[in-house]
Amino acid sequence: MKRRKFIKNLGLGTAATIGVPYLLPSGRLFAATGYRRANHVVFCLFAGGVRNLESVHKSHGNLMPRTLKGEETRTLLGIDSINNDEINGPTLQEQGTLYKEFRFKQGSTGHYGAHATAMTGVYTGNVNINANPENPTIFELYRKHNSPSMSAKNAWWVSDSEGLYANLNYSSHPGYGANYGANYVRPSSFTDGLGHDSLGDPKEYDPEVVEKIKSIRGFCDANFSPQYSGVANSIVHDEADKIEIENFINECMDEANMGGFSNPSAWNWDLPSSSFNGDMKAVHFAEKIITEFQPELLVVNMHTADIAHSDFTKYANNLHKMDYALAHLWNHIQETPDMKNDTILIAMPEHGRNIEGNGIVDTVNPDQQALDHTHKAGSREIFALVVGPSGKVVHGQDFLVEKGESIDIVPTIANILGFDNEIPGYLRQRMGEVLAESFY
Amino acid sequence: MKKVIFLYLILILFSCKKEKQVFQVHNVNIEQNSANKNHLKSTTEFLSIAYFHIFETAIPTPRLSDLSVLHSSFGDKKLIEQMTIKNFLNDDGIQISSIDRSSIITKTTFVRETYKKLYNRIPEEYELWFILNMIEKDADLTAEIIYFSLMTADEYRYY
Repeated sequence: MKRRKFIKNLGLGTAATIGVPYLLPSGRLFAATGYRRANHVVFCLFAGGVRNLESVHKSHGNLMPRTLKGEETRTLLGIDSINNDEINGPTLQEQGTLYKEFRFKQGSTGHYGAHATAMTGVYTGNVNINANPENPTIFELYRKHNSPSMSAKNAWWVSDSEGLYANLNYSSHPGYGANYGANYVRPSSFTDGLGHDSLGDPKEYDPEVVEKIKSIRGFCDANFSPQYSGVANSIVHDEADKIEIENFINECMDEANMGGFSNPSAWNWDLPSSSFNGDMKAVHFAEKIITEFQPELLVVNMHTADIAHSDFTKYANNLHKMDYALAHLWNHIQETPDMKNDTILIAMPEHGRNIEGNGIVDTVNPDQQALDHTHKAGSREIFALVVGPSGKVVHGQDFLVEKGESIDIVPTIANILGFDNEIPGYLRQRMGEVLAESFY
Repeated sequence: MKKVIFLYLILILFSCKKEKQVFQVHNVNIEQNSANKNHLKSTTEFLSIAYFHIFETAIPTPRLSDLSVLHSSFGDKKLIEQMTIKNFLNDDGIQISSIDRSSIITKTTFVRETYKKLYNRIPEEYELWFILNMIEKDADLTAEIIYFSLMTADEYRYY
């Protein structure tokens, strides 16, 4: 009898143990069971303010021949000839779903606010451009609502735009914030010589000394921690990730010091140095991150289209370069074994530009004027492109009429990475819809 | 009888008393060592103060400007601060006194002075003991390693 009772109790105990919910680091019960369409998302903000007229409407011919299908002859002067065989094959449009009439419907048509909308999935009101956004960014949502919760090494925000864009790596929203933020990098600071000149000659400690440092620092931190208010405006890595990232940045600075970042052909960018602009450098740095870390979520922005405020031809030319950079990025993903066939790329301008010119007549193409973005017609018209492996993303599908808006991107990324159902309802209801028709 | 009572009283009043032992302690301030540090240093403050602590001179404006750009260009502030201090410490011009290991007094002085300089406070007894113990046990532990450890700890980010 006793033996039977023992076995019965053991069985009940085992069953109870299996049945007990697990409290995960994210604070949730049970592991997320969300279906993942792919394990990696790269979101490229094709930003700086891009008009549909010059992009998907091709009113001056096809300025984006690697992104958009079509042989329409370019009618503008002053566009660089990027003729190389490096990027061949089908256009990105043919490898995905294109929303030609996407919209940025609400909020100021300023760069920061529109970036914040794209990266939080929520329209902003009067946004404070010197502060972190109020709503959780896609990075925080991704890191907090995945199980187990994701380390910062998996989430990157690459932007060569100066200053305020650094704030977009996490929000001020209670319960989110820096603890769930992304690794933000402004590439040119580390690759244009400044980084190497200032940080390129570090003291190096052997492992034995590193242990001593950890011991003393750990002692100090343990004494201070009761008073330590969170992570103090910074994301945090564990020690192992910190070393990996430090080594990566040091390698980039060394490479820059040896001229590697001023020679595009050395990076498999078949271009003369003179054609190589800031957007391409930012994308190149994103590619290095992809090679090194294969992040699950990477957001990179381009912004040189904003020269349209004063120079229409340079705007159109930069658009042409952005097209090349976007295709190069996709090619690089396909050349990265861990991400090939398991990555979905989304591209979208943050906002458009006015239909009407601002009065600054273009010197190269005198029938054109420079363009602002002041809430007027055109400035809310954008496009979105979802590119991915066949069988996952619908290929060759174009939506020609108005469909989708910029607040749809965050829930779509959450859906791809399988955590859209984990986002709290009060946040989710303010976001847009999943671009479900892009997927099988 | 009266004589006996008188003698008894005399004995009670003038006999030896057992000496009471009185234990006294020094007044110790038991305030939390970092209780008043709840202000995060700004980037400029951090860089200027760290430079001064290592070089004992004000940071040149162009260098401050360059380092500020780098700090704002990277998300993990602790990591970039650590990288900055590593670069400072590799400079020939550093002004960090080495540990005088000639006596316990000189070693104690080093620890006290280091805490005062970097953390703007005197170390608690257990902090003093911990660092002293490490110095005593490890002849290879340099002042520079102690500086790096303390300057990359959380408390150094606050004032």
